[in-house]
Amino acid sequence: MKTKNFLNIIFIILLVSIISCNQKSERTIVDPEEEVKGVVHAELTDAPLVPPRIPNKSNTKVIVNLEIIEKEMRLADGVDYTFWTFGGSVPGKFIRVRQGDLVEFHLHNHPDNLLPHNIDLHAVTGPGGGAEASLIAPGKSAQFSFRALNQGLYVYHCATAPVGMHIANGMYGLILVEPLEGLPPVDHEFYVMQSEFYTSGKYGDRGHQDFDMQKAFDERPDYVVMNGSVGANTGENAMMVQVGETVRLFLGNGGPNLVSSFHAIGEIFDKVYVEGGTLINHDVQTTLIPAGGSAIVEFKCEVPGTLHLVDHSIFRAFNKGAIAQIKVVGNENHQVFTGLEKEEVYLPEGTAIQKISKKTEPSDAVMIELSHEERMEAGEKLYKQNCLACHMDHGKGIPGTFPPLVNSDFLQARADKGIGIILEGLQGEITVNGEKYNNIMPAVSLSDDQVASILTYIHNNFDNGGGLVKAADVKAWREQK
Amino acid sequence: MQNFKVILLICSLLAGLNLPAQENMKRIPAGSYKPFIKGLTENVAVEAFLLDTVQVTNQDFLEFVKANEQWSPDKIKALFADSAYLIHWPEKYLQNESKTANQEPVVNVSWFAANAYCKWKNKRLPSLHEWEFAALALPKNSLDNNELTQINHSWYSRKNSTRQTVGSVYQNQYGIWDMFGLVWEWVYDFNSVVSSNDSRNKEEIASGFFCGSASLNASDASDYVSFIRYSYRGSLKGNYTTRKLGFRCAKSIEEN
Repeated sequence: MKTKNFLNIIFIILLVSIISCNQKSERTIVDPEEEVKGVVHAELTDAPLVPPRIPNKSNTKVIVNLEIIEKEMRLADGVDYTFWTFGGSVPGKFIRVRQGDLVEFHLHNHPDNLLPHNIDLHAVTGPGGGAEASLIAPGKSAQFSFRALNQGLYVYHCATAPVGMHIANGMYGLILVEPLEGLPPVDHEFYVMQSEFYTSGKYGDRGHQDFDMQKAFDERPDYVVMNGSVGANTGENAMMVQVGETVRLFLGNGGPNLVSSFHAIGEIFDKVYVEGGTLINHDVQTTLIPAGGSAIVEFKCEVPGTLHLVDHSIFRAFNKGAIAQIKVVGNENHQVFTGLEKEEVYLPEGTAIQKISKKTEPSDAVMIELSHEERMEAGEKLYKQNCLACHMDHGKGIPGTFPPLVNSDFLQARADKGIGIILEGLQGEITVNGEKYNNIMPAVSLSDDQVASILTYIHNNFDNGGGLVKAADVKAWREQK
Repeated sequence: MQNFKVILLICSLLAGLNLPAQENMKRIPAGSYKPFIKGLTENVAVEAFLLDTVQVTNQDFLEFVKANEQWSPDKIKALFADSAYLIHWPEKYLQNESKTANQEPVVNVSWFAANAYCKWKNKRLPSLHEWEFAALALPKNSLDNNELTQINHSWYSRKNSTRQTVGSVYQNQYGIWDMFGLVWEWVYDFNSVVSSNDSRNKEEIASGFFCGSASLNASDASDYVSFIRYSYRGSLKGNYTTRKLGFRCAKSIEEN
């Protein structure tokens, strides 16, 4: 009996090793002597777009023209930076060739540039990845050719001294070397590359920012971004797909310093080409992308919603800009995800308890009446604790999500001056200053005195006609109910 | 009486030494400095020399071209300058003299042309060590070593689209203007340090100035400002002309 078990185990081991051997043998080796037929000019794209596969049946000579441009662009809203770019944007142009193709590379350094540049493509087998052959002064072009021997997704970058500074200013991109017959078909392919910026000012400081060498040495970036700037692919620039479609992401990390813990909030990667190579892993939540490295991930979008692509070193995502979005549109699939079944606001710190019910109780507290000035002072503090998170400091809310309080026709039209909104909450579609909102505001458990102060503040500070709301008004409202 | 004569002689000698040797040039005193590149010696000695106060302007260069037709844009030999030579000058630059001649630094000039200009002026291009030594001087009235780094960093970090006249960025303690921040400058032996185009090969450590071996070669790997300057020179050839590259002349001090 024991021997039989033992034999079984041996058999399984053998089977496993045969399978893994088979997987290994799938790697194709390119014979550089093999003939190359025909010539195509590579189509290059800016992130998040990916060029189509070269359709030719046999290996081809692919001509790539890439122009280096130093230019001022947006790093975040109100923040400009002088980027050094491969092709006019950050990350650089996406290049797509096939294993065995002969790539004739033309690198142009725009005459208006201040600095010399070159390119090191990790897909190149040869000295410096092409860097040696491509150092060019402004106003010059360099040409070199290489055979794409290895399959995979590769980073390219500038390798002119000081290399760190050239990379920190935006000089990186991706080149895909896919199998001759192409990767398996999917509905969408996107290009997303993470990188950091080291600026003279802090995150969000307005105006033009210079490169800060010390922060780069200390590896303390102010900005960590997806596709070159804060919000490059969020909101109306998000990538769009339909429910039921499959997505392949070509992911890169330009660095210069940080390693990315790449994660899609709300999705599991069905397939990961680990580090952009031929090893495939399945069912992955977060995949590591080294600086100067890559990964390819694939997944199917089963339910509608917005996927947030983040570096799960999460402060980078929520405080330094490392977020991109994929919007999945289509019908709900409650077999996969039910959506919201119940909602309660839970905010234990700093704010009054909030309820999403329509019940409100008259208070027995002693009535305090304050002067207009005192109400404004107390109201400002209470507003900041209870309202600011959604309606914002400036009272303008967030368009499409949280309605504005500034000169609000909706608020001004209410006979109760807004008392009922605070005490009962508000739910469903409303129109404020011509724009529709459909959201939930929870009821806020505040005293009559506090409600009076907040509303006085809102009516005066946000241009709603001024006036004084008294605690007695709030008490009267409760008693009426 | 005899004594008086001697004193007079000494006085006149001293006066001669202290004379501002030539108009528009300043004397850079002898000294030594630690070059950016590790290598043959720790410190390099530089003898006293004269250096142009400002970069050569379009106006200066127009005079040179008028006097030396072989250096005009339409006559210059391809060996001495590429096709972008003086490309910023209007097509009929002599008829458009008011446009051609201005106080902006002349750019789009090759090393050969710069060298010929200096010879014509009875001067020469500064050597790399002379240029680097003179450029080390802090801005006038400054005691802050970081100030030069700042000037360079903001130069690299901004798109310099507006053109500026010479003598507009800063004057250093020798009275020399704009060593950084206006346009790059040719030096006589611009390619003496950097002869290789890639430097990550270990056997080329002595010459390389990029990537890995760049940092192995530098005396201070954190000196990004110098890295940029040296790699810039390394990308040049003698007949190259670019939009952000000009020059100024130097002169040796004659022994009395």
